[in-house]
Amino acid sequence: MLCEILQVITRESLLVAQREDLRRVMEMLNLSEQHARTLLIYHRWDVEKVFAVFVEKGKDKLFGEAGVTAKSCKIKHAPAAMTCEVCMEDIPKHKATTMDCGHCFCNNCWTEHFVVKINEGKSRRITCMAYKCTAICDEAIVRNLVSARDPDLAERFERFLLESYIEDNQRVKWCPSVPHCGNAIRVEDEKLCEVECTCGVQFCFSCSSEAHSPCSCLMWELWVKKCRDESETVNWITVNTKSCPKCYKSVEKNGGCNLVSCICGQSFCWLCGGATGREHTWTSIAGHSCGRFKEDQEKQAERAKRDLNRYMHYHNRYKAHTDSFKLESKLKETIESQILMLEGKESELKDFSWLTNGLNRLFRSRRVLSYSYPFAFYMFGEDLFGDEMTPVEREMKQNLFEDQQQQLEENVEKLSKALEEKYDGLEDDNLKQSRMQLINLSVITDRLCKSMYECIENDLLGSLKLATHNIAAYKSKGVERASELLVRATKGNNSISCLQTSSSISATGGTVEVGRSSSSSLNFENGCPSRKRSKREAFGNVLFDLNLPAEVIDKS
Amino acid sequence: MVDCARIQKELVDCNKDKGISGISVTLDGDEFTHLTGTITGPVGTPYEGGIFQIDIQMPGEYPFEPPKMRFLTKVWHPNISSQNGAICLDILKDQWSPALTLKTALLSLQALLSAPEPGDPQDAVVAQQYLRDYPTFAGTARYWTETFAKRSSMGIEEKVQKLVEMGFPDVLVRKTLEIVGGDENMALEKLCTG
Repeated sequence: MLCEILQVITRESLLVAQREDLRRVMEMLNLSEQHARTLLIYHRWDVEKVFAVFVEKGKDKLFGEAGVTAKSCKIKHAPAAMTCEVCMEDIPKHKATTMDCGHCFCNNCWTEHFVVKINEGKSRRITCMAYKCTAICDEAIVRNLVSARDPDLAERFERFLLESYIEDNQRVKWCPSVPHCGNAIRVEDEKLCEVECTCGVQFCFSCSSEAHSPCSCLMWELWVKKCRDESETVNWITVNTKSCPKCYKSVEKNGGCNLVSCICGQSFCWLCGGATGREHTWTSIAGHSCGRFKEDQEKQAERAKRDLNRYMHYHNRYKAHTDSFKLESKLKETIESQILMLEGKESELKDFSWLTNGLNRLFRSRRVLSYSYPFAFYMFGEDLFGDEMTPVEREMKQNLFEDQQQQLEENVEKLSKALEEKYDGLEDDNLKQSRMQLINLSVITDRLCKSMYECIENDLLGSLKLATHNIAAYKSKGVERASELLVRATKGNNSISCLQTSSSISATGGTVEVGRSSSSSLNFENGCPSRKRSKREAFGNVLFDLNLPAEVIDKS
Repeated sequence: MVDCARIQKELVDCNKDKGISGISVTLDGDEFTHLTGTITGPVGTPYEGGIFQIDIQMPGEYPFEPPKMRFLTKVWHPNISSQNGAICLDILKDQWSPALTLKTALLSLQALLSAPEPGDPQDAVVAQQYLRDYPTFAGTARYWTETFAKRSSMGIEEKVQKLVEMGFPDVLVRKTLEIVGGDENMALEKLCTG
């Protein structure tokens, strides 16, 4: 079931992926492939939309809007020579080309037009050269004319057409891996989900940044920006310090009167920031007057400090859990070696998947926990939902949420501690007991994650009146992995031709090989487990439904 | 590479009937990359009688890319910047077609002068005035035409001086001239009637 929903589209399977959509439109409307493509590009590869427009507005309108001109037989019997309206030269008939729309120009001008459009990045919709003509030029003509002048550019044209299936398609997104693995992911219906590419990168399908639920995409975007700018700190500095008029360093006032001196030796007035001499009393500076201290400035300073404290609190928690996550990923090796040891021992227990399952549970819930802090920062702060709740409501909701968060936190720590035990040194009885404990902890943690998501979806985000924030649903088994798109054998010649085309495309530089090896080398270099998981590991593949009671899992 | 042959033909073609169309194009120097176009203000508009100069830069890909045009003569129009003469016209941007020529583009500019499109403005101030207070707009446009687009007739400063010599205050003279669109006789009448 899951495999059908998420699919990886590699460079080789790109053509196969769009063939089905093309075929449906071609058969339904009795069209050539290029016209079907033009229609689909115009409607962003939404086959249903194409059919809907066809039913509602009719064929002519559908074709007209998208710039499809069904081959007209009205091609005039042109004289042996004609004047090209673009270069204004007299051209023999055989050096000119007439498009489906009936407009005829010389081949040189057509080629130049195509080259300019392809270079402008408009390959997918090259319109006819005639003024106000919206017809899309025949793919084959573009291909032939351009490849005669610049074969490389013709190849790029071809690739742009193919990649339209990814670029212009709501259901398909490029994998955001750096360096790029060359893959794209296609989802079936749900566009708000988190996915894992076969290269190991996990990302949010909706915003293409790292998987961040239970934060909404907007929250995450704001949070990343905030962390990057440290804008709170900057805010605090602007309110609480002034720059020295001489050396421009930020100077903080540490008490005393309003005559401040910078470490560079320059004295200045704290109130107006202007340079002064050193003579002063408690209330005034000799020869200097700039008015009184204003009350709102004091309030502003207080507020900035409070905001900063609040941000620091949430950021510290977020960071602590992210750090734990990184440290815990080292546990993986320890657990793996312990399993090897245990399997080598004479023991009643033969299956140790409960250990790996427990570890995966820890990884997943740690992620949820760390992202729940930026979520809380925005949910109960004033940046996003200042007008959504009364202070009383806010406090109530915050208590409700924090209660859940704390329970989860507690269990995640217990789980983490349980996994640090030396299992390979235990006797059978103790081992069985530890196993029971670990499985129980895993089940509880999973349940707590789930109920925290329910709380967020129903009680917190669900009750918003002014804004809409959606998050990717909680999945016990973690971020969904995309499966390879199967190259289905289609009938006879068809499949051969499609494979040939696709191989000619991937031949541009052995993209498949390059893509994969580079992505795994990245994995090796920065070893960042939060976003990357090695593709080949069999570790996480054994899936048990941890919602089942321990005994059931035991038996199986 | 600019297509010199085509531009050469266009120049000949355009200047052939400039008496009728009111449109001409001349080369700026020896290069085919920089030209100057001239259009006359359409009859029955505040631009009537004015001669407007347009700076034309030819991109290397011409005619497959649109020429870059800008009014050299200051003009008061919703789709033309009163500051730098930049033009907001679709055929000079995404609606350009290689089958269009400098002449057709300049004709479109002429058409733009007679039919402004304040819904898609280049100069917001002018567009607002056009929509909210058309008489003032027309007055200003006429005044600008009078001041900047008429080379042969008397300069505005001379008119001011003439009226000041008649005994009217300088500030009032300038204001009145602006209101009536630079016509000295109308201004005099207005000044006399108070």
